Amino acid sequence: MGPKKPVDLEPTVLVKSLHVGFAGREVLHNLNAKFNRGWLAVVLGRSGSGKTTFLRALNRLNECFPRSATRGSLKLKLQGEWRDIYRNAMPLPELRRRVGMVFQTPHLLPGSIADNLALPVKLVLGVPRRNIASRVEWALEEAHLWDEVKDRLNAPAHTLSGGQQQRLCLARLLALEPEILLLDEPTASLDFRAALKVEELLLSLKERYTIIAVSHSLSQARRLADEALIFRDGSVVQRLSREDLQAPDTLQALLEEIF
Amino acid sequence: MIKKITYLAQACSWLAVLTTVGMILLFLGFLGVRGFDTINPTLFFGNTPPWGAIIGRLPVWHGIWPACVGTVALVLLSSLLAIPLGLASGIYLAHYASGAWKRWFSLAVEVLAGIPSIVMGLFGFALILSLRKTVAPQANTCLLLSAGCLALLVLPYLILMTQTALEALPDELRQAGLSLGFTPWQNMVHVLLPVAGRGILSGVILAVGRAAEDTAVILLTGVVANSGLPSGILDKYEALPFHIFFLAAEARSDAELAQGFGAALILLILTAALFLGAYYLKSTFTKTWDQKNLSI
Repeated sequence: MGPKKPVDLEPTVLVKSLHVGFAGREVLHNLNAKFNRGWLAVVLGRSGSGKTTFLRALNRLNECFPRSATRGSLKLKLQGEWRDIYRNAMPLPELRRRVGMVFQTPHLLPGSIADNLALPVKLVLGVPRRNIASRVEWALEEAHLWDEVKDRLNAPAHTLSGGQQQRLCLARLLALEPEILLLDEPTASLDFRAALKVEELLLSLKERYTIIAVSHSLSQARRLADEALIFRDGSVVQRLSREDLQAPDTLQALLEEIF
Repeated sequence: MIKKITYLAQACSWLAVLTTVGMILLFLGFLGVRGFDTINPTLFFGNTPPWGAIIGRLPVWHGIWPACVGTVALVLLSSLLAIPLGLASGIYLAHYASGAWKRWFSLAVEVLAGIPSIVMGLFGFALILSLRKTVAPQANTCLLLSAGCLALLVLPYLILMTQTALEALPDELRQAGLSLGFTPWQNMVHVLLPVAGRGILSGVILAVGRAAEDTAVILLTGVVANSGLPSGILDKYEALPFHIFFLAAEARSDAELAQGFGAALILLILTAALFLGAYYLKSTFTKTWDQKNLSI
């Protein structure tokens, strides 16, 4: 399968001179970026380069941390409309539902596998009780998890393996009908085989969503990315296309840049 | 050398455990031996026919039934006052307060925790005195006043246990709910409180136990040696701890002293029953929580 470029890319995320700081220390400086629907972007960089902070800026989760401050413009195209999310374009819960996030380690809710999906579907979407089961099944199918868990939906969620838990978290997002997916090193806590399964899943989802994934693995970026952004000290220092990522000499330069 | 220290440490911890368990068994055994024989209908109802006493039609003169009812009423009423307030304050301190407010509020809770129960009793007594002199000349010490002062006494346990239980939750649990689009309140009710439930429950149990056994507060705020069943929350009442104290101090015969031991045993059983009730409540809460959310 050669590199293929969709004819018309639909931009959905526009970041202009974004600054984010905590307690007076700036983490992101003057960051500019653009992301598209149907396009999987991978963010690479050393730890501490601001990758996670950047993701959390997109669903305003940085505000859960003490003394965070955000400046600049961050526009998302949600429901077909451009919205500047730091100008109160949308209530926070609604924004976070539409811009879903998966963390480095699986962040489970208390309760069973079914609870993990049913609770948000019921609370956030207000889906009537009789429709919840079918939605849960649909989301688990989407996350390639249904066959593995259909016989033990009422088992505690933490009895799943790490990879299954992470796919459960993805299923939980998908059940909420998001438009943008933020993935913060989603395979960091998984072994190689489980990581490959998650990667497969992401590739199967990317047509329909805007996906921004942070990764610490260059080889993963080469497998997944339509585009890679290299972060250093809180700004984007380089953008690489899929072709760039495959070329051996850029690879060498990248290795030195990142690691 | 290290091996010897390990053995020594192991021996010490075993000794500590055995001492604790031994003391408890010794205490229970002592109370059992002295009190068990007195447990019969006469201990509760004296010479009054039990059924008439239970429904409150006949007065009980030489039994602990009114004291049992008084204690249960006292504990329930003070829990009713203290638990919502304690939970709310704990939630506020753990998740909403910050900076100077949090410091001042925490200091206030610590001060409240340090107040001896006799001082709390004096406070209630003084409150009634000042009420009598000002707006309510008929105000008197009563069940409600005792329950209010007891609620103040146990409030810090509830606040601190709720706060600690919530603050001990991992950050990722908080983020999980918020990142899915829960409002902070939904996150609190459906995610954080159920997970912190066990810690909060131990606060409730501590508070209930403390309210059941306290004598100093009620001594000054409405308990009496002989009043029969309380007829309302503005009435005087009897309570087990005070009854025990009274019998221990002023028993006129061996039989009365034995009744004191019996009453102590009953108080212990009553407190244990309240604890079990709290556990039961918690497990039903968890169950209804599951059922409500499972929905499939």
